[in-house]
Amino acid sequence: MTDLSSPEITRDAVSTRQTSWRRLLREPIASICILFVFLQIVCIAASLLYPESFRYVSSTNVGLLLRAIPVLGIISLGVGALMITGEFDLSVGSVYTLAGYTVALLYLAGMPVWIAVLATVGVGIGVGIANGLITVKFGIPSFIATMGSMLVVRGLVRWLSEGRTVSFRPDETFADLMTGSFYGIEAPFIWFVGLAILMGLLVHRSKLGNHMYLVGGNEKTAIAVGIDSHRVKIIAFAMSGLAAAIAGIISITRVSTATPAQGIGLELKAVAVCVIGGLFLSGGRGTVLGIFVGACLMYMVEDVLLLLRAPGFYLDVFVGAILVLAVITNAWLTRKSGR
Amino acid sequence: MRNGDQPSHAEAPLLELKGISKHYGHVQALRDVDFQINRNEIVGLLGDNGAGKSTLVRIMSGIEFADSGRVLRDGREVMIRSRKDSERLGIETIYQDSALVGSASIMRNFFAGRELTLGLGILDTRAMNTVVMDVLLNAVRIAGINSPDILVEALSGGQRQAVAIARAVHFKTAMLLLDEPTSALSVRETDKLLAHLGDLKREGVSAVFITHNLYHAYESCDRFTVLSRGRVISTVAKADTSLREINDMIVKF
Repeated sequence: MTDLSSPEITRDAVSTRQTSWRRLLREPIASICILFVFLQIVCIAASLLYPESFRYVSSTNVGLLLRAIPVLGIISLGVGALMITGEFDLSVGSVYTLAGYTVALLYLAGMPVWIAVLATVGVGIGVGIANGLITVKFGIPSFIATMGSMLVVRGLVRWLSEGRTVSFRPDETFADLMTGSFYGIEAPFIWFVGLAILMGLLVHRSKLGNHMYLVGGNEKTAIAVGIDSHRVKIIAFAMSGLAAAIAGIISITRVSTATPAQGIGLELKAVAVCVIGGLFLSGGRGTVLGIFVGACLMYMVEDVLLLLRAPGFYLDVFVGAILVLAVITNAWLTRKSGR
Repeated sequence: MRNGDQPSHAEAPLLELKGISKHYGHVQALRDVDFQINRNEIVGLLGDNGAGKSTLVRIMSGIEFADSGRVLRDGREVMIRSRKDSERLGIETIYQDSALVGSASIMRNFFAGRELTLGLGILDTRAMNTVVMDVLLNAVRIAGINSPDILVEALSGGQRQAVAIARAVHFKTAMLLLDEPTSALSVRETDKLLAHLGDLKREGVSAVFITHNLYHAYESCDRFTVLSRGRVISTVAKADTSLREINDMIVKF
């Protein structure tokens, strides 16, 4: 807290531009983006060199990737927004399955497809708000609260489905909007990009987003400056439920059927995507771009292993290793930039 | 904007608490406490651990509510039911360790809860950055801060206090409540902070200095209120007492 004379301050201000570049490179998001771009270059180069054995740049493969990424990606956007406020949602996998069944059963019961979709989105938001209320009003860890709702919702799905699959074949306009393609780009991916941009605006550029980071960073301080942390968290829980419901609707429209077990494990995958993307389990840090790149990276690894015809267990090994390495790098970078 | 500028109330204290009581379960944290903050004064709120100092601060900040008692601002009865209420009354609290969020940038901390927006809740980042840099460079000069995007966790204890004080100055606070402000500071930073309080007083900002470091308090305060086990045991002007006398009060009760 020593005073500096103004010439020195001015000099510091001039050098800001230079150092901000270096600071940017030390952000967790930079390392994940560099890794992603590097892997892309390697894969594209490899597939140009060996077009027959490694079909990475083929239109089938790109289409497959663009269809596969959005489901987990959209769920991760919601889970990530919640993680920024310092909470977890383990119920997203179950909500995702529930959403598929809800929209299909309501449609089969004769509801117009749009009403069925709106009702399903409402169900997702409702589960999210219930998770949020239970967590903040009883002051219990969200890990436990949402583990409970994960099981409750999964049970509900079993009861609704009676263990059977359900099919969903809406009219073509709706199906095209959810799963068609525009100028060669798969509709689900466009939805994912659109939702990511919306989420980015919300968490990085809005007042609510600022409050989410402050609540996640230090809830006591956030309360002391007059932020209603309960409200912020409940909204974030609702966003998580909403994202899971949207993913469920897109998914069932694409594959036309829902099975009771399809969403199992998605919640942990979503957490993995967020962590790889530079979010902290403790909250208050991370970017939407990180979540986006994290989701793409996760499927890219899966895709490359499939193209190489590697046995299935390699996937778990790779994803597990990337997850732990990402967290180690992020922790290290944060320590370094904090000094 | 400042509520306290009507000349008719000039005689009344800036903030007056009367008969404040508060209990947590069986523990009586505060019992019939009277406390006041006058214009242009630094009040030392003293007492040993568990005397009720922090509870009183939290009641004035609107984070907790008294079970009974009255609060008057410029002689007019007011209610402090939330942080928004205390903000409206010109009360700003700087907590020892939790005034700022470490993982957020200086700018985002500076405007926490009072963000400037372009409407629809969209942040006006450019305007906020300009204000923060202006305040940090001109009002509270802090070494080593050259960007509003620096994360608070990268700042030293003194720099953090300075950011918190700069925030209070910018938002036209009438009363600054400092809860153990010197506990994390170096000797040099402490000196600087005490000098700041003097400057602020000259600009018309009163302060409450909550501490159990009597030397810091004695140096900078005009008046002392000593708490012990939830009761006020003495309120005395600096001219009428000595460091030893205050020390004895705290130790003996």
